[in-house]
Amino acid sequence: MSPGLQLVFEAWPYLLAFVVGVLIPRRQGLYERIAVGVVAALSVLLVMGLWPSKEVVVDAPKPKEWPNLLNVIVFLPIFGSVSILFLPRQSPKLLRRFTLLVLGLDFLASLWLLGVPMTAGWHFQYIREWLPSFGIRYHVAVDGVSTWLILLSTFTTPIAAYVSFGSIKARTKDLCFSLLLLHGAMLGAFVSLDLFLFYVFWELMLVPMIILIGIWGGVEKIKAAYKFFLYTMAGSVLMLAAILYMVWTHKELAGFVTFDYLALKNLVLPKTAAMLCFGAFLLAFIIKVPMFPLHTWLPDAHVQAPTGGSIILAAVLLKLGTYGYIRFCMGMFAGPAWSAAANLAGLAVGGGVLYGALVAWKQDDVKRLVAYSSVAHMGFVMLGLFAATRAGVEGALLQMVNHGISTGALFLLVGVIYDRRHTREVREFGGLAKVMPIYAAVFVLVTMSSIGVPGTNGFVGEFMVIMGTFVSLPLGSHGQLQAVLATTGVILAAVYMLSLVQKMFFGPLSNPKNANLPDLNVRETLALAPLIALIFVLGFFPNVFLDRARDSVATVIEGYQEGRKAYMGMEPGAAAKLRPRKGGNLETGYPEPPKPGGDAAKKDPAPTAQLDPARPAGGAP
Amino acid sequence: MTELYLPMFIMFAIAAGICAVMFLGGQYLGPKNPTPEKRLPFECGNDTSGTRGVRLSVKFYLTAILFVVFDIEAVFIYPWAALFKGLGWPGFMTMLAFIVALLVALAYCWKKGALEWES
Amino acid sequence: MTFWFGLSPILVVGLGTLLLMLAEAFGKSPNSANPSDAGSGRSGELALGAAVVLLVGAAFSIGVWMVGPENLEGLEATRPYLVMDRFTVFFCFVLSLGGAFAALLAGGYLPEHDIDRSEFFPLLLLSTVGAMTLVAAGDMLSLFVALETMSLGVYCMVGLRRSPRAAEAALKYFLLGSFAAALLLFGAVLLYGATAHTDLVGIGQAIKTIGQPGSTVPVAPVLLGLTLTLVGLTFKISAVPFHMWTPDAYEGAPTPATSFMAVAVKAAAFAILLRVLVVAFGDDRLTSWGTGWPPALATLALLSMTVANVVAGRQSSVKRMLAYSSIAHAGYALVGVVATMRSADGQASVLFYLLTYTVSTVGAFGALIYCGSRGAEATSYEDLAGIAKRHPAAALAFSLFLLSLAGLPPTAGFFGKLYVFRAAFDAELYVLAVVGLLNSLVGAYYYLRVMVFMYMREPAPGAQPAVPMKSAFVSSALVLAAVLVFALGIAPGWSLDMAGAAKIVVSAK
Repeated sequence: MSPGLQLVFEAWPYLLAFVVGVLIPRRQGLYERIAVGVVAALSVLLVMGLWPSKEVVVDAPKPKEWPNLLNVIVFLPIFGSVSILFLPRQSPKLLRRFTLLVLGLDFLASLWLLGVPMTAGWHFQYIREWLPSFGIRYHVAVDGVSTWLILLSTFTTPIAAYVSFGSIKARTKDLCFSLLLLHGAMLGAFVSLDLFLFYVFWELMLVPMIILIGIWGGVEKIKAAYKFFLYTMAGSVLMLAAILYMVWTHKELAGFVTFDYLALKNLVLPKTAAMLCFGAFLLAFIIKVPMFPLHTWLPDAHVQAPTGGSIILAAVLLKLGTYGYIRFCMGMFAGPAWSAAANLAGLAVGGGVLYGALVAWKQDDVKRLVAYSSVAHMGFVMLGLFAATRAGVEGALLQMVNHGISTGALFLLVGVIYDRRHTREVREFGGLAKVMPIYAAVFVLVTMSSIGVPGTNGFVGEFMVIMGTFVSLPLGSHGQLQAVLATTGVILAAVYMLSLVQKMFFGPLSNPKNANLPDLNVRETLALAPLIALIFVLGFFPNVFLDRARDSVATVIEGYQEGRKAYMGMEPGAAAKLRPRKGGNLETGYPEPPKPGGDAAKKDPAPTAQLDPARPAGGAP
Repeated sequence: MTELYLPMFIMFAIAAGICAVMFLGGQYLGPKNPTPEKRLPFECGNDTSGTRGVRLSVKFYLTAILFVVFDIEAVFIYPWAALFKGLGWPGFMTMLAFIVALLVALAYCWKKGALEWES
Repeated sequence: MTFWFGLSPILVVGLGTLLLMLAEAFGKSPNSANPSDAGSGRSGELALGAAVVLLVGAAFSIGVWMVGPENLEGLEATRPYLVMDRFTVFFCFVLSLGGAFAALLAGGYLPEHDIDRSEFFPLLLLSTVGAMTLVAAGDMLSLFVALETMSLGVYCMVGLRRSPRAAEAALKYFLLGSFAAALLLFGAVLLYGATAHTDLVGIGQAIKTIGQPGSTVPVAPVLLGLTLTLVGLTFKISAVPFHMWTPDAYEGAPTPATSFMAVAVKAAAFAILLRVLVVAFGDDRLTSWGTGWPPALATLALLSMTVANVVAGRQSSVKRMLAYSSIAHAGYALVGVVATMRSADGQASVLFYLLTYTVSTVGAFGALIYCGSRGAEATSYEDLAGIAKRHPAAALAFSLFLLSLAGLPPTAGFFGKLYVFRAAFDAELYVLAVVGLLNSLVGAYYYLRVMVFMYMREPAPGAQPAVPMKSAFVSSALVLAAVLVFALGIAPGWSLDMAGAAKIVVSAK
């Protein structure tokens, strides 16, 4: 057989898809047909590639990790935002193209993260001293948890930017600046392993987001901007207090100052202090998530923010709260987190899943409805995290990505209709399926994903979360009840989403203003296509995703259990202590104490005696 | 401590008491016969004229201030003179610097017109 | 020679003052034949002169720092009246920097707003000399003289505009300032009566003997003297409840003078407060929570932060808001002062905080100056509405300094706050630290409000929005301050080390 013929044999699925793609569309030109055919062939290629193969690769050589990759990913957008300041305000086209170019490059760079198998431990680690006298290092690394959030972020932000450029024409320079800075800060927060660095990026996100809400938002934009700012900042200042307390305690025990996560993780605080510190971190994170009863900023922020801002907010910003809970609360405060988990899970189910869904049902504003559905979905994520079983955490992780995709798509779709009608009231619409068939079809599809219909991504995540909750150890006997109630939440989600679809798209075309609405344009279709594709990819092949997260999730859970054991071993009234280091690849990059008499003595020629030698240096009680 | 300062306090008390006795005694014991002429403010025998608040030119204050500044600063020279030998050259240089600073201030005032009566 | 070199940071500025006075008096005025107006119309060159003098002073401070004042022979001769240690040199640098900024701002502000009175610059320099001497003072006598030297110049600068408002501000500041100085003097007298010393070291050693057999130092006058001294000094740093003069004086004064008061006067007062507390009142019993000054100062810190932040949020004038914010910042710095009781980092944190506060505050006042021009000075929030659209650079600079004041990373203010609160945690002052952090949240609200007006609101129809001025002086000051804000926010290592090395060390005897 000639090689050409063999190629035809082996490539028959692609060829078939191509032929079908070329033949099916009617009333189209040749180029469009060929384009559709190519898309069809590529889709088949993707599906074939994703199909789990039986072959097990043994002893594959470990791909080399380029240590600067994370620096590139984080600082590309930040430098991009600085360069924006020097580009002319008068040429919005240049600004837009530049922004998209930077975001696109960033996405390509982040794809590299998929090139290495995410085994347990830290990858792409990069450490540099920043402020040695303060024990602050520039320490970034990823594991299976953060990899996906980075990819989610680099994937959705370009889409959000692309959509924003379609609807926002005023003050493009400010828009590009905020988008890039926000992007860089979010990525930075996902990769930081130094608490100080994390805090810096965490706060850096605030300002661009306020600008996004406050400049291009709706009528009540300024109030929403204030609300967003004050809520988030209230959480973070207490977190800073807790960080400082932990750093101080660590210094008392180990004799050197460090803000490093790996070192502070080994700290076992006395019970009250641990509870307070956990509370401070938890507050910061559940405000960001947001969890009932601290969720009230979210609907306002969403409703007032422009479409692009909403997408970023829903898809990535909220994930910082859940990511923070996995990384910091479960990592550093396993004991208190474990004891509080059952109550918090009750809050997540009652206040998030159920209450959020019920409130969403009663909304007249489509965007507000989607915002409350966010509260419900994030309730699911938190439930999975509180359950802290493998299925629960993996499901929660998957659900974070799902929520980013489906809610991002929903906000995009709401933005489409808002751009055409400048209203989002449900009762203004009805029978839209007749004038905007493609729009209606896409909307229904995304709705399915949001509800969690089998075959879409939402199903896998919710199923795993509920499964994990059912058998969870920290939740104990409450877990089963909570799992059942969460299942009701899924039904409620179907109720509010489907009734929305019914009211908006079906029935008679009652409002004459809707009669001549144009369907999706090229820009909107292009922005939606990758989201739709991902809905199915993750729905059918969740293993692509879960394989890479598995080891890290196992590590997280293991650390959680060990931390809890250490915490339970503390006598009441005992002083803080340090757990022994375990070493291994989980602790690569552990901060070393400064060498005595080396650096410090040379740098500081002035006498640095104690104020009074009679007084003890620390004076811990 | 109290014993040490007690005489001083007694002296203060006596002084204050004498003053009080003189004022109050004059007030209450003295014969009074107020007439309009007696109640007029005393202005060297002339009739009073004008309202009570008279604006004085600022140059009076300026002159007074300048006098106080330069006069009081000159007082510093006395203790220096008393210790002239002991202080030696460093003391001389210090005082020279002080006087130069005063001279600069004087030149400044002069040039700014602070010393001119009519302007 | 080493002696003169050691004193050079102060001497250079002092000599520069004299020269500038002569230059101001004898120079030719371009637009006036009247000799008494010789200075008017020459703000530009005088501002440049003053800034150069102060920057040379700053350069000499750096030089002395490099060599190390402890390595200079003969410098002990000036003790205790002038103590030239690293602490003093550090503050000489900060003060000359703050003064130079004020001079540059004045160079743009005064001609723009028709208060082109060149006395401002000699007064500014004189005040700076006073402030530097105050920082160096190691004796109650030199302390008092320096304090008055510093204050008199500022009183005059406040009243420079000659409007009823400015006159009120100047008079209020002068009367209350004199009153506080009198209290301070009374405190010093009591301390002298009790310990027979006017120098701080002597007072400190005498206090240490209390309770030992054979001690003749009575307790009551010492405590009363401590209280009165603290009142006098906290008046200068305008801590609540001794802050009443601050908003009026800050608002009535020309803005460059305001920035000088907020920066240099406050920094100098903090410096001498630290020196007095550490050197004279560093006794174990006086630094303990039960029997010493920490609870008093902690109360002042709590009050200053809380009251000032709450009131600042209710102001309609941005200048007045910044005045209240400076009171709140005094509260934060006081947290660091209180932390000196138990933390080795306490002093260094205050020093570093004052450095970051200096650059951010002069920047904020400078940006406020920059946003206004003749006849349209920017004072209220409405004046700033929508300025980001018309003048993005001005808005961007203003936002940067406000973020730094609010303490958001990656600016200088964040590190300042972080260091202070870390020291507070070191000293186990948890409540103080947490209240301080919560207060920075309240503070962030009103700083954000300015940004909201600049970026998100439009000027009301018919309103006359402020028009930014064009002045190379002001913009150069802003650029310099912005660079410093970023430098201190991203790479504060060198200045942290400096602040750590500058702390006062009391040798135990």
